[in-house]
Amino acid sequence: MNLFLQQLLNGVIIGSTYAVIAIGFALVFTVLRVINFAHPDIFMVGMFGGLLCAKYVSSNFFVVAAASALSAGLVGLILERAVLRPLRGRDALMTLIATLGVGIMLENGVAALISSDVVAFPPVISRQPIDLGAVSVSKPQIVNLIVSLISLAIVSYYVRLTPYGRATRAVAERPDVAAAFGVNVSRVSQVAVTLASMLAGCAAVSVGLLYGNAWAFIGLAYGIKGFICILIAGNRYFEGVMLVALALGILEALITGYLSSTYRDAIAFLLLIAVLYVRPNGLFGSYST
Amino acid sequence: MFGQWESLVIFTLLNVMLTVGVYVTAMSGQLSLATAAIAGLGGYAAAILTRNFGWPFVPAILMGAVVGAFVGAFIAAVTLRMRDFILKLTTLAFGEMIAVVAFNIDYIGGANSFTGIPAYTGFWNCLIGVLIATYLAWRFDGSRLGFASRAVRDDVVAAAATGISVLQVRVVTFALGAAICGAAGALQAHYMLIVSPQELGFFVSLNFIIFLLFGGMHVLWGAMLGATVLTILPELMRFTTEYRHVLFGLIITVVVLFRPQGLIPRIPTGVSGRFSRAGKTARQQAQ
Repeated sequence: MNLFLQQLLNGVIIGSTYAVIAIGFALVFTVLRVINFAHPDIFMVGMFGGLLCAKYVSSNFFVVAAASALSAGLVGLILERAVLRPLRGRDALMTLIATLGVGIMLENGVAALISSDVVAFPPVISRQPIDLGAVSVSKPQIVNLIVSLISLAIVSYYVRLTPYGRATRAVAERPDVAAAFGVNVSRVSQVAVTLASMLAGCAAVSVGLLYGNAWAFIGLAYGIKGFICILIAGNRYFEGVMLVALALGILEALITGYLSSTYRDAIAFLLLIAVLYVRPNGLFGSYST
Repeated sequence: MFGQWESLVIFTLLNVMLTVGVYVTAMSGQLSLATAAIAGLGGYAAAILTRNFGWPFVPAILMGAVVGAFVGAFIAAVTLRMRDFILKLTTLAFGEMIAVVAFNIDYIGGANSFTGIPAYTGFWNCLIGVLIATYLAWRFDGSRLGFASRAVRDDVVAAAATGISVLQVRVVTFALGAAICGAAGALQAHYMLIVSPQELGFFVSLNFIIFLLFGGMHVLWGAMLGATVLTILPELMRFTTEYRHVLFGLIITVVVLFRPQGLIPRIPTGVSGRFSRAGKTARQQAQ
């Protein structure tokens, strides 16, 4: 029973790290209908931004988080202007390849400028485990969970209750009709991408603290998992993405705990194929036809 | 014969062969992201046959092609009802799954890769492979099946309405492209003398998609040109050392932004337009 509870908790934590990346991915996917392959690398840039801030400027958690959010958001803004906007309306595969190119540039740029190896993340929060009786948890794990919940709350609030958010949903559903109603589609896209990037930056710090290190090529693994989460969940409800990410994390943790860890990665793909076979638009459906 | 450039030449030939395979599959609108996995499976199959069972080289390559064809046909059948985008993603998922499974099966070496493969591949084998693949693709292009697959690519519903069996077209084109990939994988296995599960992943497959898009997705020569240029370019850029990959990413991004139809577009303009019938028609119509 102890194993079950511990793995459940681990699963929730891992799931929340997936969720935290997937939400930013989902925001862009839903609004712009494109896969932004540079998103995980924006996440990575945020992580290094936070790392540099923690090393050279300040060790305060909030300052570090702000630094990474800013650096990630800046990259996201530039990406939207230079790459996403010109390619809007064209085949999604083009955007995928272009953002992949940008991702390669970012990864290798950071690897060349800083280090291509794993870099230790300064311990802004202590990683001592806290014993809660049957299970043990550490502060960074709790921070991770809180960050992902807050990100979800921010995105939900933004999309449901703010005027820009409603405009975003309109653009997601029918960009042409939204434009006819006077919505500035370019501005909405810009805000969406920048918001997604900033959230990714915050998430990056919490993940970096969790694992204690940062790596220029970390985008690959997380990118694929986050990608799978949005595909399984469909692009209609952001909350769905969060749910799927948590479920995936829990599933992986349970299988690792009870069976073996070797087939852990295959599970995600198996689940993806199974879900897409039955519901090609994702579990919760999508906006588009 | 080529001295230090030998491995570059062989890799270029192999990449061209693989990209031609992707081109054939893409002709029916199924852009496959499982290419590396299929090639890897072909490589494993052929290597197992030559190393463990002592098969001669050419039948082993053919078996690699057969394995590729079966896997390709299976994927095509599963993804039959899927739309454009989801289709690509499912092929991606298949590819990754195959990679993970290959990682864990000890008979083929698991994470330690499959080694001890006899070194059969040389320049001439690869050249012949490329020539055969190109010939197949070229004949396929001009055949009824080729036209049918282009119809399926452009508009599935309309194609079905004219009596084309979408199932048949999709499965056969995928199998054909996958067979070429499997054979190329077999050749590669006997050159590298190793087949490792890392090579089966999605990023390797994406490489070939990039070659195809860069060179021009709609024309066979585009596939070959794209593969050649993008294989040779990083080698020529060696002098830029660590920023090499950054430059590579930049080139990809810039090409997609400014010339999304690839180097050789569907309506051939420029040099390639002078030598093809499609180009001549286009110029006549423009007058």
